[in-house]
Order: sequence, then C-alpha cells, then structure tokens
Amino acid sequence: MIQNKYKILLVEDEDNIRNLVATMLDTAGYQTILASSCSAAKTLFASHIPDLIILDLGLPDMDGVNLLDYVRKDSLTPVIVLSARTNETDKITVLDRGANDYVTKPFGSGELLARVRAALRNHRFSADEGRLPGGRFILKDLEIDYDARRIFLRGEEIRLTQTEYNIVALLSENCGKMMTYSAIIKAIWGGSAQEGSIKKLQVNMANIRKKIGDKPGEQNYIANELGVGYRLNS
Amino acid sequence: MKKSSRYIKDILIMSILLGIAFGISLLFQYVFEVYEHVTTIFVFAVFLISLFTNGYVYGILSAFAGTIAVNYAFTFPYFALNFTIPVNLISGMIMIAVAVLTSALTTKLKRHEAMKAESEKERMRANLLRAVSHDLRTPLTTIYGSSTTLLENNEVMTAEQKEKIITGIKEDSEWLVRMVENLLSITGIDSGQIKIIKTSTVLDELIDSVVLKFKKRYPAQKVEIKLPEDVTIIPMDAILIEQVIINILENAVQHAKGMTGLFLRVSVVGNSAVFEIEDNGCGINPKRLETLFTGYYTSENDVADGKKRNAGIGLSVCATIIKAHGGDIKAENKKTGGAVFRFCLDTERINYDTE
Repeated sequence: MIQNKYKILLVEDEDNIRNLVATMLDTAGYQTILASSCSAAKTLFASHIPDLIILDLGLPDMDGVNLLDYVRKDSLTPVIVLSARTNETDKITVLDRGANDYVTKPFGSGELLARVRAALRNHRFSADEGRLPGGRFILKDLEIDYDARRIFLRGEEIRLTQTEYNIVALLSENCGKMMTYSAIIKAIWGGSAQEGSIKKLQVNMANIRKKIGDKPGEQNYIANELGVGYRLNS
Repeated sequence: MKKSSRYIKDILIMSILLGIAFGISLLFQYVFEVYEHVTTIFVFAVFLISLFTNGYVYGILSAFAGTIAVNYAFTFPYFALNFTIPVNLISGMIMIAVAVLTSALTTKLKRHEAMKAESEKERMRANLLRAVSHDLRTPLTTIYGSSTTLLENNEVMTAEQKEKIITGIKEDSEWLVRMVENLLSITGIDSGQIKIIKTSTVLDELIDSVVLKFKKRYPAQKVEIKLPEDVTIIPMDAILIEQVIINILENAVQHAKGMTGLFLRVSVVGNSAVFEIEDNGCGINPKRLETLFTGYYTSENDVADGKKRNAGIGLSVCATIIKAHGGDIKAENKKTGGAVFRFCLDTERINYDTE
C-alpha cells in the first residue's frame, strides 16, 4: 500500500509553511520529501524521482525558476509553483517555462490538494492517451472525437469553427493545465502573442464559452485567469 | 505643469500687463493730458506681475522696464532717456521694492499652501495607517489567541469547541487577506508613482473571475448577473476593477440588512460600459452617503459594531481605483429600498477577423 503512494517533493524555505503544506499532503495520503533550498532539491529530485514537485519561488540559494529549468531539461514531472507574487507577468513566466500550475499564497488546503490531484491526473492522461488515433476525450458532458474533429455536449454536436475547434482540442490535450495566452497563440496561429492576437484569442474564447454553455461565475468547463490564460477544468 | 510652459505663461503675463500699463499711460498723457499718475500705474502693474508670476525675476525685470518706460516716454524730455531726474530714480526704486516684497510674499504663500496640501495628505495617510493598524489587531488577536488556546488545551477541548475556534481563525485570516489586497491596491496608486496599466479585458471573463472569487468567500450568497449579449472589451487594470466589484458586493453582504437579492448588471451605452451593483437591503444612511468614498474611517460612530470595520477602506479603495481609470463612482438609495453603486468605464471597438 505504501508503495503506491505518490511521492511529492516539497521545496519551501519557510519552516512554518513547509510544515503546514507537508501536513496537508500527509493527511491526504501523499508521501512527502522535504527540501529547503534549491541545491538540496536538485539532489533529492535526482535520487527520489518524485511524481510531482511543489516549488516555492523565493528560495535562499537561488530563484526557484532555476530548479524549474533543471527539472524541465529532461523530465515532464508536474511542477506546481507556490508564489506570493500576485503579478501576472510572474505567473506567465513560470507557466511558459514549464510549470504546470501555480497556487498563490495564501491558499487553503482544499485549493492546493485540488491542484495536486489535477496535475497528477493530467500527467497520467497525457502520458497514456495523448493524441492516439481513435482517441476520444471525455469530461463530464463534453466529448471530443479527435479523428473526426467534432465536439459533443450531452451527445449533441456543437458547431465550432476550425479555429475554435483547434483551441478546444489544445486545451483538452492539456486538460487541467493553465495555458498562457502566448502558449495557445503559438500553437493555434504560430507566432508570438501581440495585443491583436490576444484579442483574437479572447473573442474566439468568448464564442466557444457561449457555445458550450459556460456562464460567467459558474463552475464552467473553461476557467480563465485574467491577463494570464485559460484552463480546461478537469 | 511643464517647466517650459510655465516660463512662457509667466513671460506672457509680464508682457501683457506691461503693455496695458504703457497703453493706459499713453492714453492718460495724450488724451486726458494727465501726467501725475503714470508712475502709479506702472507700480500697480509691477505689483500685479509679481503677484501672478513665479519667483522674483519677472517682478524685478518689469520694475526696470517700468522705470525705463516712465523715464523714456512719460518724463520730460519725452522719448529720450535722461537718468538725472531724481523723481524718476525714486519711483524706479519704489517699483523694485514693490516687486521684491510682493514676490517674497507670494512665494512664501505658495510654499505654505504646498506644505498644507502635503500635510493634509500626510494626515490622511496617518489616519489610514491608524485605522489599519487598529483593524489588523482585532483579527490577529483572534488568530493568536485561538491558536495558543488550541495548543495549550488541546486535550480538554471538545471537538465542537475546537471547530468553533478554528472557524474563527479561518474567518479572521480571510479577512486579513482581503485587507492586505486592498492596501496593496491603494498604496500602489496613491503614491502617484505607479500609473495603472490598462489591458483589453473581455467583460464576461472579468465577471466570471469576480463572481467565482466572491462565491468562494460567500458560498451562500447568490448574485444575479446580467451582461450584454455581444462580446464587450474594456481597457482596464483587471485585477483592480475586479477588486472594486468584489468590494462593493462584499459591502452589500456586510451592511445591507434584510437583503434578499444582490444584482450585478453591466450595460453598454454608446461607448461606455455602465456597471451597477444593486441590493434590496436597508439602504445607506443618508448621512454616510456624502463621505462614503472619501472617509477612511472619518465617522467613528459607525464602528461601534465590530462587524463594520473595513467598510471605510473598501469603498475608498473603489473610489481611488475608478478615479485612476478616469471614471467616477456613485452610490445612491433606491426609492424602492436598497442601494445602487454605479460606475462607468470606456469600451473598446472590436474590428478584426477571428480566424
């Protein structure tokens, strides 16, 4: 039983926060490995091969982004960033450099655990299914048939434009991951995110959300983070 | 005001006033044949110039110009300079004295006014700080007291007691989080250094984000939403506007007694988006209406009830943010009961293909 526990590497230099998060994870049944500096985390990452990393950005020896780069060099291990910075540009930077998600301090235990679950699940999903031929994506009442490029809601087909379909398909392949504007734009249209292309994406997204029945303020399929990007909620 | 434009303005004032003085003197001399008042007219002009310009330079310059003009044009021999006339030298000295003294006085006055404005700002800041420190202490007391109680009496407390205490910790820390968010927003704008950066924001996404955050804090409170059908894009600092709406919604939850419905409506009129947050609670005390957005805690009498803390700061933050966006925020009571908060932001035209 203990063998089957997910291993989570927690990198945080503040003792109180580290203890707190470790307790949250322990009680939820995860095995935690603790590190309080970037260099220690690198060693532990190599020796333990964790299933997920929770990373605080402000570390004493170097910026946490450094560890993110180190991990992303040759692994897809999900990384959730803990950040006190509410600035969007910081969030975008870590997401574009390979973080799967971020949680802004202060956070509650429910919020953190939900992100951890989502990140672990998506990792498995993208590893197993991906874009296999005959692949289907099913999320609640939403179903995507990748071969036929068709989308169904409660069994009924939703008419999307090519661009709209591409966006939904992209989000579904990265289900649960916060996709930044620039990541989506690069995948759909190519090129970098400029004022005009972001607006184009936003208008497309507004149409998609309307078509799949997302209403502002409700638990929707597509979540938006103002100024950052979109995520298909898993 | 820019420096160069201020110089230009001062030079203009000086030239125009001197010109008028010269003209009037000419008029007196040639039309009315009065010679005695020429010096007086120029002294008055110098006085006015010193009063309306910055610093000493313009006053003294015009005093010299006045002296020379009187000497040249209005003293025998006419239209020739002659510096041996004692009367002219004396009037010249009087003009310079007037210029220096007036300039000194006005400079002092201006400095005094600037200091007064600065100290007023300082006073507001001190007020805010005092209110905030006072407000921070209350939840900190709960959190500190509760956690020590839990640590020390863990074994003797019932599960029910523990839950009550822990709920208190949770609620008060949530409150602290919101307070800090508000403070971060206004200290950013108030310092005047940081300009807000507007980015194009889709209205539906803004409202989506607002309502989800609000629901997280107040799961039991329903908000009825009405938005325009078409995609509406508004340039704004979305994080700050989000905070404005959440503050107003929260204000309704905390203060609108007897509220059964909370409405968030946005409509587009011309190229302006009108945001309305309406409740059907007890309305706002008319006495409070006037100072609702300005008083960081100016009305102490309202704070008696412990739950009323935060009201002053939250709404001041709203006003500051909307003002920084170039808009205006208003609150009023409805005839049918309840209150409406209203503010407008300019929308942006959408004209491009979506493929």
